Amino acid sequence: MKDKLIIKVEGLHKSFDNLEVLKGIDLDVHEGEVISIIGGSGSGKSTLLRCINFLEKKNKGNIFINGKKIKRSANEINKLREKVGMVFQRFNLFPHKTVLKNVMVGPVVIKKKNKEQVEKNALKLLENVGLEDKADVYPAMLSGGQQQRVAIARALAMEPDVLLFDEPTSALDPELVGEVLHVIDKLAKGGMTMLIVTHEMGFAKEVSDRVVFLHEGKIEESGTPTEIFDNPKSERLKSFISSIW
Amino acid sequence: MNFIINLFTPFVEFFTVVFKYAPKFDKAIIYTLELSIFSILLGTLIGLIVTTLKLTKFKVLQKIAYFYISIVRGTPLLLQLYFIFYGLPLIGLEFNSFTSAIIGLAFHSGAYISEIFRGAIVSIHYGQEEAARALGMSKVQSFFHIILPQAFKRSVPSLGNQFIIAVKDSSLASVITITEITLTARQFSAATYNPFPILFIAGVYYYVIITILSKSLKRLEGRLRVDER
Ligand SMILES: Nc1ncnc2c1ncn2[C@@H]1O[C@H](COP(=O)(O)OP(=O)(O)O)[C@@H](O)[C@H]1O
Ligand SMILES: [Mg+2]
Repeated sequence: MKDKLIIKVEGLHKSFDNLEVLKGIDLDVHEGEVISIIGGSGSGKSTLLRCINFLEKKNKGNIFINGKKIKRSANEINKLREKVGMVFQRFNLFPHKTVLKNVMVGPVVIKKKNKEQVEKNALKLLENVGLEDKADVYPAMLSGGQQQRVAIARALAMEPDVLLFDEPTSALDPELVGEVLHVIDKLAKGGMTMLIVTHEMGFAKEVSDRVVFLHEGKIEESGTPTEIFDNPKSERLKSFISSIW
Repeated sequence: MNFIINLFTPFVEFFTVVFKYAPKFDKAIIYTLELSIFSILLGTLIGLIVTTLKLTKFKVLQKIAYFYISIVRGTPLLLQLYFIFYGLPLIGLEFNSFTSAIIGLAFHSGAYISEIFRGAIVSIHYGQEEAARALGMSKVQSFFHIILPQAFKRSVPSLGNQFIIAVKDSSLASVITITEITLTARQFSAATYNPFPILFIAGVYYYVIITILSKSLKRLEGRLRVDER
């Protein structure tokens, strides 16, 4: 089953005004794969994820989700986003909703599912991220690590085919990083397909099937964690790794 | 002894008039309350509609919205009321004085309320809409389920201010013959040749109405703050 393509990116280009941020990205993500994206600040990691989720409009190239090429129609993009979950650096929980309602709002509003069923499922998801006792609390009362775990549960509630993480632990105090990584690790072991932008090299090495090194809008090198971290080929990757360890 | 009586006589007279005339404001109070409530409700509705116009991507609608706001802001409310009551009938649009006042007051506060809403909406962090859209919500869903509730909460303090101004502005309806508190006070003053206690009554009534309003708004604000630390 590892052969089913969830995401296929072909020759993706993206510019902001005159600034070319992505200069031809090709990337395949298969079902059950965990891919880490590493690279310096400004190399285009966030932009790549945001293009895959259509939060940014690509300039050139193709993106296929589940083998389907995406057109511009708003309806189609909304439908697609249901299949592609996203977890942000700054959590972006909905502050006016309780933790439980944050997790429920997607299925209830978008899929118009039965509330009781959704609630049951949401509570189970909260249990999976270790926050079932916080169901009725508002996000402002939670630590960053807890908020990020809620954000993961919220994304999972839509039953996505793939989860995109954009530096999920960068906004956290060091002592809270572990609890979030633990949840992501659990998802990986459960077979969730994931694309993770991260600076946690130890974690990337441990959890990933493949690591992609982005440099100035291009994939400079990609391979297994061992290839990337222990036998980097390009000079840029070597110096990036030595700078970050 | 006489000295002390002389000192108290004005007070006694003052409050005699106050207690005699205070109950006679009953209809006036109802008018003031009706003007305030209708203009606030209608003004909020207008404000919401105009906000939507301002936030659409259709340039024409935006232009209309901003034109309306600039007119309201750029001319006195008093003149606007005169215009609706005395001016519009000349082109065949005739309303009774009460309807004219409601229209004038609502259009007036609607402009300010729309600015309050717009400010609150754009102050919501863009990450909120992104998170909603990333879940798969449409623009409309994200607006009504995620952005608007937060914006509404954020706008309550300024909205409350605007409501208080609306109560005070209702006194201008007196110039188009509505016997609300201010006009009633003027009539009683003229009849009694004793304006001081009469105006005092009017002041107290306004003060009580506005105090009740602002207390309720504070309570609403408090209740909306449950999601804060
Ligand atoms: N909305 C935007 N408008 C203009 N420039 C942007 C925008 N988003 C990102 N950029 C620029 O694109 C480049 C890549 O950004 P980003 O993808 O966020 O990098 P990374 O996530 O790897 O740090 C940066 O130079 C950044 O300033
Ligand atoms: Mg980034």
